Amino acid sequence: MHTEQAAINVRVSALLEDLPKERSQLLPALWRVFEEYWLLEPEMIEAISNAMGVPYAEVYGVASFYALFDNPEGCRPIYVCTDVMCALRGSEDLLKSGQVGAKGTPVSIKGAPCLGYCDEAPALFDGKVTKTQVTQDALAQLIRGEKHA
Amino acid sequence: MPEVRRLLPESTCRSDPASPARFTERGWDRAMERALSMDPDEIIADVKASGIKGRGGAAFPTGVKWESVKKALGDMRYVVMNADESELGTFKDRALLQQDPLGALVGVLIAAHAVDAQKAYCYIRGEYRQAEGRLKDALGTLRQLGWVGPNGVDIEIRRGAGAYIAGEETALLNSIEGKRAEPRVKPPFPTNQGLWGRPTLIQNVETLANVAVLLAHDVNWFKEYGSSDTSGTKLIGLSGHVRRPGVYEVPFGYPLANLLNDSDLGGGVAGSQRLGAILIGGAAGTFLSSDEINDSVLDYASLARYGANIGSGALMVFDDTVDLRWVLRKLARFFSDESCGQCVPCRIGTRRVLELIEHGGLTTRQDDLRELSQAMRDASICGLGQTAPVALLSLLDRPDLIQG
Ligand SMILES: Cc1cc2nc3c(=O)[nH]c(=O)nc-3n(C[C@H](O)[C@H](O)[C@H](O)COP(=O)(O)O)c2cc1C
Ligand code: SF4
Repeated sequence: MHTEQAAINVRVSALLEDLPKERSQLLPALWRVFEEYWLLEPEMIEAISNAMGVPYAEVYGVASFYALFDNPEGCRPIYVCTDVMCALRGSEDLLKSGQVGAKGTPVSIKGAPCLGYCDEAPALFDGKVTKTQVTQDALAQLIRGEKHA
Repeated sequence: MPEVRRLLPESTCRSDPASPARFTERGWDRAMERALSMDPDEIIADVKASGIKGRGGAAFPTGVKWESVKKALGDMRYVVMNADESELGTFKDRALLQQDPLGALVGVLIAAHAVDAQKAYCYIRGEYRQAEGRLKDALGTLRQLGWVGPNGVDIEIRRGAGAYIAGEETALLNSIEGKRAEPRVKPPFPTNQGLWGRPTLIQNVETLANVAVLLAHDVNWFKEYGSSDTSGTKLIGLSGHVRRPGVYEVPFGYPLANLLNDSDLGGGVAGSQRLGAILIGGAAGTFLSSDEINDSVLDYASLARYGANIGSGALMVFDDTVDLRWVLRKLARFFSDESCGQCVPCRIGTRRVLELIEHGGLTTRQDDLRELSQAMRDASICGLGQTAPVALLSLLDRPDLIQG
């Protein structure tokens, strides 16, 4: 555990090296670390706290506020919009089929509030980009693609 | 009348949206040169005279806000572009940023010059990566052209992380400061005490794009479109049961029915092809019946007759097969999930509304729902809790829209 924390500290401080060590850079810092691990566990929070000079409880308080950082499984998240317009176009079934298809893969499929692509529903956000007019086949492909990644 | 293109680029615009070529093609060089040659007070006078109102939902007169920031005391001033756009059904800022990212940024630079700000932030929701990329490229172009940089205004892009409430202006300030995105109690208003207690101007993406087109032309040109009450054009995010969902730019005063039906706009009702209702303004919007739609134009006073508002420019269309109670349940869940939980009327109220709706309360507990709504309106700290019950009340007031 101890050596693991040390390794994370090294990795995190490298990731945050060029960021000004200011409180206002906390959100950008959280993003960088999150996109490295797809996870913000106590070890990462600790490392961010050390690197940014912000108390652990404060870093934790901020990280836990934002929905996109809530990914305890550490799998690459795929968010399927389940709000009104996407749901009208079958996104609830899309979500279910994705969740079945993703079992045992390093991807986790989650429902999400409106993604802001109502005109091209249904939409998903794969953690890096948004895809629109998504079909069950397209989602299955995305899940399989992640397996090989 | 065909769709107008002022905020959105002409379809003949072929240059890369973030390129120096686009900068000139759209007349932003003219806008910048004009702005810098003008006295800040002259710019503010023009923005006031243009009649531009905020496009983020509240429709506050933009020039008045600029004047407050300019007059407020402070050793430092900030400008913030609000591109958080997480309101349910809303996507017009995303379209604008993808199609013409330089316009809104030029608006930021003009605003900074007018209120004497040295630093600006663009806060964009974390799921809008393609738009964020465009914004970054556009910022690179402005640096390259010398409009942004160490000698002028510095602009920083900030990425949100999945919190609708971060779009509320004071929550957004907290988010930029590296805190939880919880709204602050107002007053003090950001115009006086915003980022780090300094005077701060916060504007919606589309508002800033309006300023850019205004400065690229003049007040008379700007007022050529629009109604006698509200000048200019508005971006509408049209979604749901229309043939051509998308973002359209139309003048204020445009008939709502035409927005749905014109062949170059909505193209007519899709689905069952029979209109059921629209929800205008976003999650805290108002349901309108087809008679009300036929009797309304896109303007604040016209919509106010039915208790409705343009809000964020979201216009969700439902055919007559959609059970609006189902829509309402979605809205209630949205608010309950997105409430920041800071104040009791909103935290408990949004959850209670959801529970009541899920258990048939729309028919059996109408009085309780109305009473709860009133309490939320009166006692919530911010707009989320205050307006969360608006759509619900609009449906209670229109029993004909509720099926069986
Ligand atoms: C819950 C909530 C969410 C909001 N989200 C946004 C948003 O995403 N974008 C926006 O421009 N304004 C949003 N607003 C309105 C802002 O608080 C603010 O009024 C606006 O950014 C001011 O800019 P404007 O005058 O140009 O409209 C939101 C307000 C509330 C209460
Ligand atoms: S009204 Fe709701 S969202 Fe706004 S501060 Fe209170 S709890 Fe938070």
